[in-house]
Amino acid sequence: MPEEPRIAEELKTMEHEPLLPVEKKLIAWSIGAGVILLGVLIWLSDVFFAG
Amino acid sequence: MRDNSINSKMTTKGSRGGLSEDWLAVWVGLLIFLLSLGVLGGIDLLGWGVKTQVWTQLSKSLAPVSSSYARLPGIMALFATYFFLVGVASLVASALKVRLWAFVRAFTLVFWTSYLCWILGSFAFIAATPDKVKDFGISWSLNLTSEAGFIVALITGLVIGNFFPAFADWIKPAMRSEWYVKTAIVILGGFFGVSAIEQMGLAKAVIFRGLCAIVEAYLIYWALVYLVARKYFKFSREWAAPLASGISICGVSAAIATGAAIRARPVVPIMVSSLVVVFAVVELLTLPFVAQYFLYKEPLVAGAWMGLAVKTDGAAVASGAIADSLIRARALAVDGVRYQEGWVMGAATTVKVFIDIFIGVWAFILAAIWCTRIEGRRDGRMRSAEIWERFPKFVIGYMLTFLTVLMIGIFFPSLAAKTKEAMAEANVFRGIFFVMTFFTIGVASNFEKLRQEGIWRLAAVYLVCLFGFVIWIGLVISWIFFHGIMPPMAPA
Repeated sequence: MPEEPRIAEELKTMEHEPLLPVEKKLIAWSIGAGVILLGVLIWLSDVFFAG
Repeated sequence: MRDNSINSKMTTKGSRGGLSEDWLAVWVGLLIFLLSLGVLGGIDLLGWGVKTQVWTQLSKSLAPVSSSYARLPGIMALFATYFFLVGVASLVASALKVRLWAFVRAFTLVFWTSYLCWILGSFAFIAATPDKVKDFGISWSLNLTSEAGFIVALITGLVIGNFFPAFADWIKPAMRSEWYVKTAIVILGGFFGVSAIEQMGLAKAVIFRGLCAIVEAYLIYWALVYLVARKYFKFSREWAAPLASGISICGVSAAIATGAAIRARPVVPIMVSSLVVVFAVVELLTLPFVAQYFLYKEPLVAGAWMGLAVKTDGAAVASGAIADSLIRARALAVDGVRYQEGWVMGAATTVKVFIDIFIGVWAFILAAIWCTRIEGRRDGRMRSAEIWERFPKFVIGYMLTFLTVLMIGIFFPSLAAKTKEAMAEANVFRGIFFVMTFFTIGVASNFEKLRQEGIWRLAAVYLVCLFGFVIWIGLVISWIFFHGIMPPMAPA
């Protein structure tokens, strides 16, 4: 186990990194896939796994 | 951090190159499961296991689980259970390659403190359900069922962890909440197997809908938390990714897996994990009660919600267990409806198991993106074999016990009643591992962390995301996939 870090120092030395286009794309694709899949999964659940 | 779970998760092996806690949970869970199956062959190997009963006279709080051992006094059943578990703990200590005596001593303290809490929580004024209040000759009860003992254990653990650090250090070798809960989950597989035999269609629906819920949670939660941490709290990628996984997915395991995937320095997942453990306790103490009040008419929504919203395996499954008892008690008190035990906890566990399965996959996806698109390196730092290395092995034990019981039910229906009896015996040990989980989670939750300079910037992201949308999106997803799916009724 590494020694207990001092979080204040860690955060102070953290450099600002602007959001890269690939990060924006990751966020957008992830949420987009979530929304689209929602419809598909609800349909599958209701048709094949109604309980 | 006093809990050993973070330490053991930072490496996939246990101490000094021993077996991992994950594999130990599989072997111990399977041992108890196999011993319980002796009932099928007419050999009652675990019937002496102690069960805790709601009581007004202390002498009636304990009894052996099987009628074959009815003549065994409750206190003797408790000692027999302790000696059995201490034997198991010794094997675990040697597999973990930790000092045997220190481990056994610590385990003994954890066992007895936890069990005393359970007995205390089973006092009739705390635990009796409305239909039993008159039988106990009392006029009122908090109606919390005997699972109130779990909450007593958690609170006792919190007091010890925060005010008695010397005692907490003494029991450190046995502070293994992850091992306890994973062993309990392996045993739980057989218990759910019995429920699935009786309600096959419902069990399939819970499993599939649990899978749907977590696909949605991964895709929506992670991206939103990452966005908030990066854009509004100005965290670097190294901090934002483990933070997003820790808050959104499954706490400690996910933060560590993500940290490794993006090659963050060890300090990052350690700090995130410390925070996760503290907030998971806050959720464990509040959300089951919220669910009891608002969701007692939709028990499985409540179960899935516990699995999605409460972080860390221990706290999530523990929340499911508490919600299970509270909701059944309220449904009985308000509507006179008596739901079968275990389905709320089953929904929570199913969701959590799928979450754990997907951690490795998600870490692999992130590693691929970080390697090739963010850092522009193609040195293959994340091997596909790491998906297996990060796969939670206790899930294998859970599936084995679940499928074994299911197969027995399908191919040998005449053994169904005996199988149910066997799983009731194994379930006694599941309960004990659960109460030790609650106690050790409490001890590990060191609120002193929140006084550390600078922690509040991390905690602010956690608070905003957790209470701002993680809990509510989890509720919506649970509602979408589980509303209207009701547990079966218990026999009167």
